[in-house]
Amino acid sequence: MRRGAGVACVVLLVALLWFFPLFRVVPLNSTHGTTVTGAATTTFDPAAVAARLWSTELPTAAQRAADAATVAADIRANPEVARKKHGGSAGLGTAYYFVRGTGKVVSLDRNYLRLRLAGSSDTLVALRVGPVFGNVVRDGCGLLDVNKVPGLQEYNALAAELNALVEKNVQPHLRQAGVGASVTFAGCSEAPETAAAPGEPILNIVPVLAEIQQ
Amino acid sequence: MKTLRYLRAFTRLGAVVCLLLVSCKRADSPASADKSGPKVSDSRRVAVVVSTLNNPWFVVLAETARDRAKELGYDATIFDSQNDPAKESAHFDNIISSGYRAVLFNCTDAKGSIANVRRAKAAGVPVFCMDREIEANDAAISQILSDNYSGCVALGQYFVEQVGETGKYAELLGIVADTNTWNRSKGFHSVVDRFPGLKMVAQQSAEFDRSKALEVMESILQANPDLDAVFCGNDAMAMGAYQALLAAGKASKVKVFGFDGADDVVKAVAEGKITATVMQFPKVMARTAAENADKYIKGVREFPQRVPVAVELVTRTNVSKFGDYGRKQ
Repeated sequence: MRRGAGVACVVLLVALLWFFPLFRVVPLNSTHGTTVTGAATTTFDPAAVAARLWSTELPTAAQRAADAATVAADIRANPEVARKKHGGSAGLGTAYYFVRGTGKVVSLDRNYLRLRLAGSSDTLVALRVGPVFGNVVRDGCGLLDVNKVPGLQEYNALAAELNALVEKNVQPHLRQAGVGASVTFAGCSEAPETAAAPGEPILNIVPVLAEIQQ
Repeated sequence: MKTLRYLRAFTRLGAVVCLLLVSCKRADSPASADKSGPKVSDSRRVAVVVSTLNNPWFVVLAETARDRAKELGYDATIFDSQNDPAKESAHFDNIISSGYRAVLFNCTDAKGSIANVRRAKAAGVPVFCMDREIEANDAAISQILSDNYSGCVALGQYFVEQVGETGKYAELLGIVADTNTWNRSKGFHSVVDRFPGLKMVAQQSAEFDRSKALEVMESILQANPDLDAVFCGNDAMAMGAYQALLAAGKASKVKVFGFDGADDVVKAVAEGKITATVMQFPKVMARTAAENADKYIKGVREFPQRVPVAVELVTRTNVSKFGDYGRKQ
């Protein structure tokens, strides 16, 4: 009788704890992952995201980029109107252009390759061939949303990875272009507040694609 | 008799287990709050919880948020966390129990403050972050944040222009638990580290505090008397560092770079005492957060989680365009 009651107690207790455990063990990423915006719940790999963007989405998006000569003409007419017409920005952030075009090389220095745009006698743009810094490509290409990554630090890491891809895949090729060569490009630029003075590049572009015909 | 004793013991044990289960469920399950639905207060009170009022920049942030909430018809109250997560947590307890409609929030700790925001959310009090990020995407309704990284990229480029490609510099970091500290530092280093001739000889936290920056800078100068520049993660620290340099007779030799766009530093940039700062726009962030809270209370539910706000480099060349924590109108 006594033994039977003891066994019953233990069985009941075990059953109770089985169905109502005092604690549960869960993986850390199930509580730290993001759920609202569908951002990654596992480790975010900025290099992999940047590489995927670079090889798949960016070439297609570049075909839809605004014509650099048109944007330049609109900036000359009214930078504010041009920004509203052609520009894009992340949040309440800086406005950027994603442009494409063709031009002839007029000069090359440590940081910039200057082009005179095709069909224009005086419109210059500069393609960055020196170290690439900041968010111009990340925010300018219009393909990334801050709310699709876990946080700002990851978003910034993405900018650095894209900059590294520009330096690795585009710039070495561009630095070979001699004066007079024709360059077809697509790239991102911060939207200027004012039009550049005559003889100065109207856009400073970080190139994401470039083809050279010597 | 003994069977009766066993049964009593079992009953007591069962009661204890039940109590434990009930208390665990209450403590850790926001879902239990959701079942009954969060209580929605009909008060017109909005709380502004700010990390510190010991820095004029945050005073502007908090007062602008309060004033905009008042303009929108709310009774707004500022709660000063004094950079203390425990005080911040107590403020949230008070806010939740007092029936506030929303919290405009500048956190003390990117990770540690998440629990406060989640508690408020479970109680039906929406939270709108300003300037400082919390590292969760599903707690606050939205986060209006300065684009610190790109601001410090621009500052880093100007730093290289002004200091040159060789030299020795120190970095004063902000609060290490704040993501702004690291977004700024990483933005700066993404540029400066590309120039191997620029050597960082010291990197220490002065917790965004002017007097701590003065002390830290004094000790850095003792170990590194041949410093060329100092990058400070905010303007309060830049002013502290400048004071230390002035006292050591090195103010004209060592270039000081700050971040925030505080009024005293903007004036110091104009006078050539500080080389550059980066203008954040605390009024824009505070007003946007208050307006989002108002929209939420009126029924809007679609908000982007993070909204980056542009910042601008302020140098002696363009300083005349800036003042009063923003661009001059």
